[in-house]
Amino acid sequence: MKFKLIYPRWEKLDGQTIFNLPPHGPVVMAAAIPHNIEIDFTDENVEDLIIDESPDFVGISMMLTTQVKRGWEIADQYRKLGKKVIFGGISTMLHAEETMLHADSVFLGEVEGRLDQVFQDFHKNDLKKIYNFISTPPDMSLIGPAKRDILKKDLYYHKGFRMVDLFHASRGCIYDCYPCAVRYLGGRGFRPRPIDKVVEELSQMDNNRLFIVDNSLALDTQWEKDLFKAMIPLKKKWVSHTIEDKDEVLDLAAQAGAWYVYQAVFDTSDYIKNRIKQYHEYGIAVEGTILLGLDNQTEDDIKRLVDFLLEIELDLAEFTVLAPFPHTKAYSDLLKQGRIFDTDWNHYNAGKVVYHPKHMSAERLGELYQYAWDTFYQDEPQTMKMFNLINKVVSREIADGTYTPRRRDIADLSFGKKVPKLV
Amino acid sequence: METNPDFNKYMDRYFNFAGQWESPSKCGLKVIHRKDGKTLAIATEIYRQNPGTPVTEWCAPLATLIMKELDCLPDQFIFIEHTPDLRSKLAFYDETFDLVTFDVDGHNLVNPKWSRLSPDLVDGMMEA
Repeated sequence: MKFKLIYPRWEKLDGQTIFNLPPHGPVVMAAAIPHNIEIDFTDENVEDLIIDESPDFVGISMMLTTQVKRGWEIADQYRKLGKKVIFGGISTMLHAEETMLHADSVFLGEVEGRLDQVFQDFHKNDLKKIYNFISTPPDMSLIGPAKRDILKKDLYYHKGFRMVDLFHASRGCIYDCYPCAVRYLGGRGFRPRPIDKVVEELSQMDNNRLFIVDNSLALDTQWEKDLFKAMIPLKKKWVSHTIEDKDEVLDLAAQAGAWYVYQAVFDTSDYIKNRIKQYHEYGIAVEGTILLGLDNQTEDDIKRLVDFLLEIELDLAEFTVLAPFPHTKAYSDLLKQGRIFDTDWNHYNAGKVVYHPKHMSAERLGELYQYAWDTFYQDEPQTMKMFNLINKVVSREIADGTYTPRRRDIADLSFGKKVPKLV
Repeated sequence: METNPDFNKYMDRYFNFAGQWESPSKCGLKVIHRKDGKTLAIATEIYRQNPGTPVTEWCAPLATLIMKELDCLPDQFIFIEHTPDLRSKLAFYDETFDLVTFDVDGHNLVNPKWSRLSPDLVDGMMEA
């Protein structure tokens, strides 16, 4: 039986460097699919999707809100051909009611231990409209290594440089951050994977550079320390979200291969300044994630924040405007106040303004968003700053003998497509 | 009845409900039977203590459920959403009150509309 698994494309933000990373949701899902099922995976961001009658059953995995409309379009076409379509993934959960209008089935929650039943139901022509496991997360020890062999790996190279692979060591989050839906998606508890399972998966990965996609690595000190200690011998180099600010934790993180972290910069306080300094002291670079358009930001605040970012010598910065995704407090608050004016999900890309900001017009916030990108990268472009970060990791890899040279055979390709050679 | 040191004048018990996708959910609740014959219910978002759906996301079904449990009619029922001050560094978790009004569809409250209330106004409504 052939299961066609699709990761829909989305429109990338104007003017930003495009990096297509190998998706994580589909490979985690694939690991939970019964072994006798043939999986044919298409990531529409790096290859064309051919919609035909060859699959027996179709799965659409969606992570971003900007994928849902394309996902629905694909499903509609397959269903016209008489194919059954099931949806899963983060943005399926965020947009479940609407997605049900385009689906034979939607899967809500986490897949481990649950897909045998789904495929049995499909075989019996008894697919349920909803598989709802949203309140019953699986035992974390059931999460095995993701099935990355469904990916066409050569498509995730840019001019011979391999992109990082995505990996997770925990799920859920104890916090309830204003723009974040993890509370709804992964539950309010922190659920770490057993360390031996994490190490087993890491050991099997042939990519030395990873992005640990956990919401935060600052939720359980002892687990963090145990994780980092166990990772040291693997000599991986990795990117992650926040790491706890304790010196002993940062020291172990650095030894375990912490390359750079995404750190939210929400004000110009000494707390933030010292946080960045502390990472740097341990040789960990920092990409600031800066959310613009919050109700406590005036135009002057945004300009001051950009100046501050330059002053604290962030290695990279990523600016976004608030996107009030469903199931976030941001969405609830703006909905209550009647401030959301655009409900086209394709516009929820964190680059377009879809609500009325408190202290300025939507148009002005859009201009300030552009100002922030332009100003931060005025003296040193984003590609150059990224190049500096890559140089740092290459030096460390050469030092510990894990460096893999750039692939010359695909140096003229970017994510599978030809790029002109620079003379 | 559960007790909690966080109970206050806007919340004197927990209310358990099945939220979206049947998620076990919980909010704070205060019910006042006013002198004018109307029943005022204040539903408090309790954030981390709520394992499921937030009050705002399930506002109409939650208000309907509370109204029916209190054996009230829609025109005798007043519903207020309360978010407590979490003393966060960020301003998004300050205390707020919203009066929620609904359309009535059969026996159910639907189409919530929120309007912000000051704490003084809420106190006045509690004493009416």
